[in-house]
Amino acid sequence: MVKEMTHIERAQAALKGEKVDRLTCYPIACGVCRRLIGDGKMTYRDWSEDPKKFAESFLAGQQHYGFDFAIGLMDLSVMAGDMGAHVRMDEQNTPFVDKHIVNCMEDYDKLTVPDITKGRTDVLIKGTELIAKKLNDKVVTSAFVEGPLLALSQTAGAERLFMDMFTDPTPIHRALKVTTEYDAEIIKAMGKTGIEAICWDYLWGNYACLGDDEYGEFEGNEYAPKLNKMVQDNGMAVAVHNCADLPHLKTQIGKFKPAIYSMAYYPQIEGSPTATKVIENGYADHCLVAGQIDPQLFMRGTVEQSTEVTKNLCQEVKTALCKRGLKSQYCIASGCEIPPTENCRLENIQAVVDATAEYGKMEY
Amino acid sequence: MTTKEEVLEKLSNAVLKYKRNDAIAAANESLTIGVNPIDAINEGLVKGMSIIGDRYAVHQIYLPQVLTAASAMYGGLDVLLPKIPKEELSDAKTAVTCVVEGDVHDIGKNIVKTMLTAGGFVVNDLGKDVAPEEIAETMENNKVDYLCMSTLMTPTMDNMKKTIDILKEDGYRGNCTVTIGGPPTSPAFAKEIGADHRDSNAQNAVGWLKTGKD
Repeated sequence: MVKEMTHIERAQAALKGEKVDRLTCYPIACGVCRRLIGDGKMTYRDWSEDPKKFAESFLAGQQHYGFDFAIGLMDLSVMAGDMGAHVRMDEQNTPFVDKHIVNCMEDYDKLTVPDITKGRTDVLIKGTELIAKKLNDKVVTSAFVEGPLLALSQTAGAERLFMDMFTDPTPIHRALKVTTEYDAEIIKAMGKTGIEAICWDYLWGNYACLGDDEYGEFEGNEYAPKLNKMVQDNGMAVAVHNCADLPHLKTQIGKFKPAIYSMAYYPQIEGSPTATKVIENGYADHCLVAGQIDPQLFMRGTVEQSTEVTKNLCQEVKTALCKRGLKSQYCIASGCEIPPTENCRLENIQAVVDATAEYGKMEY
Repeated sequence: MTTKEEVLEKLSNAVLKYKRNDAIAAANESLTIGVNPIDAINEGLVKGMSIIGDRYAVHQIYLPQVLTAASAMYGGLDVLLPKIPKEELSDAKTAVTCVVEGDVHDIGKNIVKTMLTAGGFVVNDLGKDVAPEEIAETMENNKVDYLCMSTLMTPTMDNMKKTIDILKEDGYRGNCTVTIGGPPTSPAFAKEIGADHRDSNAQNAVGWLKTGKD
């Protein structure tokens, strides 16, 4: 038995592939943790437009639930919004782009890198800095940033972008150079915040959408590797989040070699990889794989169901880790962000953390 | 002069080669030589789109190709559909497709719309971020046979239930078949909200709607 560890000891040990007292745990509870502050009625807009409130929710979440990580996810409309797309901001829900700014091929060439000291990009960077200051001594911290293809799809609209990628890729590459440069600016700024990693959302590495050739050409071959290296050059670790149903694991884990890979599982979709499969195939040998609890559990499940799901996942993971010679790493997490809505059941988050503590104990 | 068989092949090939302008030209040519527009659609455009759907299902091609092929098909349909006499469409099954209110992710819905069209359905696509009241009103006023609702986001799933509840309250639920889709949905959720079916694959969903079987 390994003696009981603190959150940061456990997270750091897991990342190094060393022995841990129990599996690490990080339900991706970000915006939802604003409900732990004050009267619990803070709007999403207030949270995502104020660095102090943004950071405060991560501190509150860690203190309340006892997570092993803090990953500063805001939402996937930050970059598109600051590039000029219109973002619809509901009071208590995830905002989204409802008006794209690419309406013809010429519009791709009009995209420019915005001033990152303004808009929600600035909130994200300043908020991340506060997260690092408040939590670096307690957990492993990471920023969360949209990858270049995701940022472009949010700006142009995914359907238009996909067709244009196929029919006339040259302007798309020029636009991707802009979103990559935008990401590069964010990396430089994040590198000065003290945050320990950048978690990329490389969402389109998904075989339901793009094959190896397309994903390689438009993110995996050039743009993402360049950004990953830049993250490391700026003193941070690379993490990747991809909640797709059929993720490009060979590229995103095998080639990118992230420290953490956060992923989902869709039981209805043939080929969607289970925790067992991911571990069996060696993807968790040198990478802390995090997943794969269905985020719906936090809205529709009971405490008992949350405990049961977590218990089953812990047992599945421990069995797979044992078969792999215990050299693999895994973090019990949600496959995607816990919905930041009013009707999300906060008690289920605690149930997942508590069940991981009880059923995730490791024996060597 | 071009024969009917030749122009049907042109229509099919235009879709298979992702050529919207070719599909429009072949559609116009088919009308010029007197091909029944229903034949031009079913034996030309739809034949090509069905092959595209099969290739996508086995991961030979991906969304960029499927969406571009669909664009070619719609180019041809825009020419041919207005030329079909209304009485010939009276027996066609009708369907409404939509992404429910609060969500704008519509690629999956658009693939379903394409496969439904390729399957011979007359589709009224309401688009994205559509209120339950609007969906129900469209179904009821137009006596639509099938409702296909989609969402990518967990918080907006409840709007599928709201829509079905309105259809029930208005007494129309028994007149239509409801299928749902999108990553957060499941067969259990479909059952819970009173939908008839849930699918994760557009081809399969359309197959189920046509046959009532998985």
